[in-house]
Amino acid sequence: TGLNRIGFNADEAHNIVKECIDAILGGVDYNQNNVNQWTAAIVEQSLTHLVKLGKTYKYIVTCAVMQKSGSGLHTASSCFWDTTSDGTCTIRWENQTMNCIVNVFAIAIIL
Amino acid sequence: MEEYQPHHDEIGFNADEAHNIVKECIDAILGGVDYNQNNVNQWTAAIVEQSLTHLVKLGKTYKYIVTCAVMQKSGSGLHTASSCFWDTTSDGTCTIRWENQTMNCIVNVFAIAIIL
Repeated sequence: TGLNRIGFNADEAHNIVKECIDAILGGVDYNQNNVNQWTAAIVEQSLTHLVKLGKTYKYIVTCAVMQKSGSGLHTASSCFWDTTSDGTCTIRWENQTMNCIVNVFAIAIIL
Repeated sequence: MEEYQPHHDEIGFNADEAHNIVKECIDAILGGVDYNQNNVNQWTAAIVEQSLTHLVKLGKTYKYIVTCAVMQKSGSGLHTASSCFWDTTSDGTCTIRWENQTMNCIVNVFAIAIIL
């Protein structure tokens, strides 16, 4: 029997990741000395929580944090996969001093 | 009786091959141009689409995800990280970094083996 919902639940992933970002970046200003630890923590904690959902997915989580300066940052992604089972969601977050973009890619494991 | 299936694919993801493919795509699209707010969205879309097309043409049994970030050079910090939960024996990734005088470009390729 198929216990998993059909397809990737993007809303659920969005909420999980947003909580991770809030916990790590909430209330802090961009700081060159800390930002590498922050991006690593965001991807690792997000990944841990996603895996804990216990669904048969492989996950890729990417995070970009940029200091606000008026410069342009543009991102794009393209995927070659099974559109019925695989999915993605993008979480955008910002405060006064930085922008954060997290992408989650979920690829169904066919057993 | 089992059929003999010749193995044409290498074991694991060939990161060097992907690196060369993507670098050529970036050179073709960004080579010789300066950062331009009006064009950059087309450039990032073209980079991921052309890279993906060339990777798929390799004919290997992989799913691919290609991401691209282009940032105007301004002295500001940009930091990126990624973490993957997958099969480390068959899946792989590579990162291609490119820059000119006016912009930085980072492309990530993630390849997930399709188990038939």
